Amino acid sequence: MIGILVDVTRCTGCSSCIEACAEANSLGQEIGQPQQIGDGLSAQRLSAIVLSPEGRPVRKFCRHCLEPACVSVCPVGAMYKTPDGPVLYDSSRCMGCRYCMMACPYGIPRYEWDTAAPSVCKCTLCVERLSAGKLPACVEACPDEALIFGERAELLSLAHERLAYEPGRYLPRVFGEQEYGGSSVMYISDVDLSFLAPNSDLRETALPELSWSWLSKVPALSLATGGLMTGLFWVIGRRMQVKEARARRGGMEV
Amino acid sequence: MDKIALQRLRDLLWFLVMAGLVAASVRFTRGLGATTGLNDAAPWGLWIAVKLGFVALAGGGFTLAGLVYVFRLESLRPMLRRAILIALLGYASFIVSLLFDLGLPWHIYMPILNWQHHSVMFEIAWCVMLYFSVLGLEFMPVILEHPWFARPFFKNIYHLLHRATIPLVIAGIVLSTLHQSSLGALFLIMPHRVHPLWYSAWIPVLFFTSAIAAGLFALIVESFVAQRLFSSRLRLSLLGRLGNAGAWVLWVYLGIRLGDLVVRGVLPAGLDGSWQSLIFVGEIVIGGMLPAMLLLLPGVRANRYGLLTCAILGIFGVLSQRMSLSMFTQWRPPGAPYFPSAFEIIIALAIPAAAGLVYLLFAENLPVLSHAPERQYSAPGLQHAAGARPSQYGSLFQRNRAHGLQRSSGLAVVAIALTAAFAPARSIQGAQLPTSPVSPARGWESLAIDGNRRDRLVIFPHTDHQQRLANELGERACQVCHHLDLPGDRATACSACHQENDSPTRIFDHTLHTRQLGGNAACQQCHLGEHRAQTAAACAACHENMSSMAGEKPFQYFAPSYQQALHGRCLACHQERQAAADIPDLASCSVCHFKPAELQRSNAPHHQ
Repeated sequence: MIGILVDVTRCTGCSSCIEACAEANSLGQEIGQPQQIGDGLSAQRLSAIVLSPEGRPVRKFCRHCLEPACVSVCPVGAMYKTPDGPVLYDSSRCMGCRYCMMACPYGIPRYEWDTAAPSVCKCTLCVERLSAGKLPACVEACPDEALIFGERAELLSLAHERLAYEPGRYLPRVFGEQEYGGSSVMYISDVDLSFLAPNSDLRETALPELSWSWLSKVPALSLATGGLMTGLFWVIGRRMQVKEARARRGGMEV
Repeated sequence: MDKIALQRLRDLLWFLVMAGLVAASVRFTRGLGATTGLNDAAPWGLWIAVKLGFVALAGGGFTLAGLVYVFRLESLRPMLRRAILIALLGYASFIVSLLFDLGLPWHIYMPILNWQHHSVMFEIAWCVMLYFSVLGLEFMPVILEHPWFARPFFKNIYHLLHRATIPLVIAGIVLSTLHQSSLGALFLIMPHRVHPLWYSAWIPVLFFTSAIAAGLFALIVESFVAQRLFSSRLRLSLLGRLGNAGAWVLWVYLGIRLGDLVVRGVLPAGLDGSWQSLIFVGEIVIGGMLPAMLLLLPGVRANRYGLLTCAILGIFGVLSQRMSLSMFTQWRPPGAPYFPSAFEIIIALAIPAAAGLVYLLFAENLPVLSHAPERQYSAPGLQHAAGARPSQYGSLFQRNRAHGLQRSSGLAVVAIALTAAFAPARSIQGAQLPTSPVSPARGWESLAIDGNRRDRLVIFPHTDHQQRLANELGERACQVCHHLDLPGDRATACSACHQENDSPTRIFDHTLHTRQLGGNAACQQCHLGEHRAQTAAACAACHENMSSMAGEKPFQYFAPSYQQALHGRCLACHQERQAAADIPDLASCSVCHFKPAELQRSNAPHHQ
């Protein structure tokens, strides 16, 4: 399970990662569509530098969650999580329902609004570069070593090492270790990063569990409804038959 | 039969459908961005909201089928066929609006091939697909009773369907129970979007109960419409019973809705006077408690206006809950509001309008309204061959067809022309790079050109420039202005060479400054001596707080602008070094804001 650790205290907001990302993914020119929401992410930009409320630059891109909401809601499996960690998208299956965009608590997936055959656009953790033995483009481009690529477990221990080594420098928390079940992309920071998942409580349980609490009841519910309706149909019919027969017998007696 | 009202309604529906055709053609050729107000923060909008509404109004289908066939309430049978028809049209509307909403509608079959048991939408896709088929089979006997199908082959199908009625009804109830509630469960996974007053772990149950209530109320409203248009018999006591049942279901719904809010501690705090809480109160009181209370009174149920009003209020309450939950009150990041576009609204109206036209067609030509099916299904066609009610079938063909055709096509032309005329330019052109207007040059030796691209022509001595540049550059002179690869509107601005006239630096807009400072009278505010670039006051004379390091408030949630980023990154260090190393101008604006001509020289790699 691979991932990226972002050390926010080292990021100067130079945007080298974003340029490298645009180049590596052959993204088109960013022309500022009305559908964009001003955080810098769009169908042409899969990562962005946003400012924290304190004014610190923080890189915003797909977290490649361990239990991704986008994957769990996809009705066709167009969003899928690879065993290695990256959460990927396959437009040949996609219907374009945009449920993934609705479900992502970090608001990452973006849409190609200006084409008649649109796709969802999100970071791929540069799987193609990885399979060619290269680092993700953003990690390679970062001049300040604010982005570190590696095995998630190793990144996690590195993060905790840094927190222990310079406690004054960081908030005592690895963002992405537990939030929403954890993610492959994690942050250590001196500022609170909960603004990256706006209007959410950053709960530690994974979001798909909320859907599953309903879906797990569906098979039993369908059997119960079917059984109940068949039973009622039979019982009520039988009682009416009996009533009718009794009435007929009564009529004969009279 | 009220022919005038019928004609007017038909005209209105036809008009909407034709307007929708224009919007549909733009939607499927230019994409969602050109037609809708959706954005990256609001990927779901009006079409999802109305879709939830269509399915709620279709809830009468499985409810009535269950009441008649499982609970054997034979007295409700006269309502059964209309209930099935409304459900059929509701689901058809759902599917059509889904085709509009899906980005890649031709992939709609994908859930059949790729099973995803963890997705609520996957379950809904299957249930709707199956239930729509069930509804089709349940309604097919009505079509097969038409004299067109008076053949042994269709007769066999008819009897086959009749034998399959009970399994179909029970399958329909199971499928409806599942997907009506799952439609609500779609929103379980997004507590970060749904407003707390609408979010609930009980959403599935709320959607299921409210669909039953809305479905029953929709049947009441339909009966009044049918009575007005086709003078079909209004069975007021029967409708009163439906209203009574609907009221009880509505109470169950309200009880769960409010009970859950109270238990979770949202309710007292949620009523904070915000506009969302006002919508909530309106929805609960006017669209919930009021009709649910009134419908329990026998006097109200016996009064046709009372019954109709309560049914409409109840429908309003259910639709309001679904639209608020899925659209109006959802949380969105600041700076990204969602308003449905005109085309979005037109399509949201055109789809039920088309369903309405189909309803009129079926109601006029098939035994939907007046027919109370016999207990023993007689062979189709036989009971009508005697001509018992010729008016039941003929109207489609007996109408003055030529007149109707003229009227419809006239309306269609007007609707299409109006919609196309008012179509926003963006929806036709799609996304484009912004261009600045420029007028083409006129004249020969002295040209009238639009030098600074503000659509104001100035006299440009072309020959004069040609000669002067040819002396300096020889053959390359023409390229200086006539460069083939200029982006955008491909015109060289005067300021490309004459920076001191107009734009002394790459970021300084002289015209803008002149205009904002009050035109010609304002020159002296910057040009204290001679009117030349060199004598102008420094930027910082006016822009004291230009740099973000100097206390400019960072713009929350937005990426830093180019100016913010560079001022923030470079200026602090420059200021520090200016003081430390005693280099007087290191932190002045002109160190970075230089003329393009100088750019070539100082473009060497720079320390970070």
